[in-house]
Amino acid sequence: MATTTAQITLTSNDLTSDALSLTTTATLTDTGSKVGVTETSGLSRKITTSVDEYTLLAEADYADDKAHKVYLKHVGTTDSDRVDVKLASQHVGRLYAGDWMFIPWSGGTDIKLTPNVATSVTVEYMVIISS
Amino acid sequence: MATTTAQITISSSDLLTDALSLTTTATLFDTGTSTGITQAQGPARKTTASTGVVTLFNAAPHTAYGADKAHKVYIKNCSTTRSEYLTVTINAEEIGRLYAGDWMFIPWGAHDTDNDIKVTPSVSTSMTFEYMLFISA
Repeated sequence: MATTTAQITLTSNDLTSDALSLTTTATLTDTGSKVGVTETSGLSRKITTSVDEYTLLAEADYADDKAHKVYLKHVGTTDSDRVDVKLASQHVGRLYAGDWMFIPWSGGTDIKLTPNVATSVTVEYMVIISS
Repeated sequence: MATTTAQITISSSDLLTDALSLTTTATLFDTGTSTGITQAQGPARKTTASTGVVTLFNAAPHTAYGADKAHKVYIKNCSTTRSEYLTVTINAEEIGRLYAGDWMFIPWGAHDTDNDIKVTPSVSTSMTFEYMLFISA
């Protein structure tokens, strides 16, 4: 088995009067076990030039009720550019230029994106697949 | 304005034949701007002892957080029993299961009043989780 980790560091010296410095690391394992994940979709990159909604990850391609992880980054530099993220038809949030997300994904719903501009919008994404 | 950053590093020396080492940092801004966020809630910590649903962030009323904003939510399952998980939902749609030691960081639009973020523990024994909201004006 492989050892794969995901670490997050949240930092701010001036958001609150007490400095924020939070770091935690998760070891990515198969569902509910200590066995390290052994599959990944790899890091992918997609460019769109339309405001049409599209399916980034189709639930049909992944097993349900698993502890998959999804990494997604909006690789933009224009502050107002964004992609709206949906799970099936449920609006989750907006990823603006430079933003990223990392979520557990059970594989039971499509993950869909809608860019807000018809000019070039690039996202990078990766699924870490959990058996 | 404040300067707040969120960095992720995903790494593995043996998941692929080529080592994986991905690092990226986002600066947290007010919605669609380059002005740093100035509001947050937490980090908070909660321990449950039932499988009842817990509302972490209530999207209503919108005046509390603002709708269609670039809020960010951090949640960590602090359990050490690997089979224990939190089912995380938004407006009853399952995002995924956060197993022991796992964390998540997600944009939250608070798109409408039903878009609460809730968690449901998988066990009725003690489970602890931590969470934080970065509020984007």
